[in-house]
Amino acid sequence: MTDLSIQVRDAGCVSVVEPSGFINAHTVRQFEGALESLVQEGRFTILLNCRELNYISSAGLGAIMGLIETVRENKGDILLCNLQENVFAIFDTLGFTQLYRVFASEEDALASLMEQA
Amino acid sequence: MPPSAALRLEKSDFRLTIPSQTRYLNLVTGLAKRASQLAGMDDSTAAKVSIAVDEAVTNIIMHAYGGEEDHSVELDLRFTLTALEIHMWHTGVGLRGNQIVLPDPKEYVKHPRKGGLGLLLMSRFMDEVRFSEEKGRSECCMIKTIA
Repeated sequence: MTDLSIQVRDAGCVSVVEPSGFINAHTVRQFEGALESLVQEGRFTILLNCRELNYISSAGLGAIMGLIETVRENKGDILLCNLQENVFAIFDTLGFTQLYRVFASEEDALASLMEQA
Repeated sequence: MPPSAALRLEKSDFRLTIPSQTRYLNLVTGLAKRASQLAGMDDSTAAKVSIAVDEAVTNIIMHAYGGEEDHSVELDLRFTLTALEIHMWHTGVGLRGNQIVLPDPKEYVKHPRKGGLGLLLMSRFMDEVRFSEEKGRSECCMIKTIA
């Protein structure tokens, strides 16, 4: 079993990133690379669907943090949905739930973005 | 698993020595999670302990050893009546008490930056985190009380 696999798909102007497995110091470059590729392609609205994400360490949070300014400067954002309990606990403990919009489902996140557009 | 990753079972503790390579993080966090459950913690608490261990071992590999992969990290998981103690030893550059600065989450949200989050997670998810040095080795000890 690989530690991390990442699927990326488009939902209109939103790029949905689905990491599956563990984001830690061993896998973070793979995660960071996927996000950076999107930003380089001009895809600045990124939804992280975390339904298959078992955990994310501070290394992974740093990867998100490293791109948030760039995407927001380009009128985009990084949003989160389907956080498992322990993943939510990590985001919440560090105050990231105040920095990022968190949704219960992908549908809710996409609907909110549609309303905003 | 290479021969250097040896597991030794004792009456009430586990000792595991791993190479200083991040590829072993999953092995260590899996062990920490199962040990926490064995100690009587619920799944949510066990997950938090495993994350704290991930952060501590990552700090040792990336900072104490500067990412050099040819060193070792020794872990000792001790079960007591009231707590699970996780001791981690290394021979790299140790953290001293006055070097430990935990970011204030409220300030962090206002002024986001990289770094310091691992220590914050360790301190939030464990009941006690302490660093010490002895005989050329540095130790990070984390304790989680069993509720």
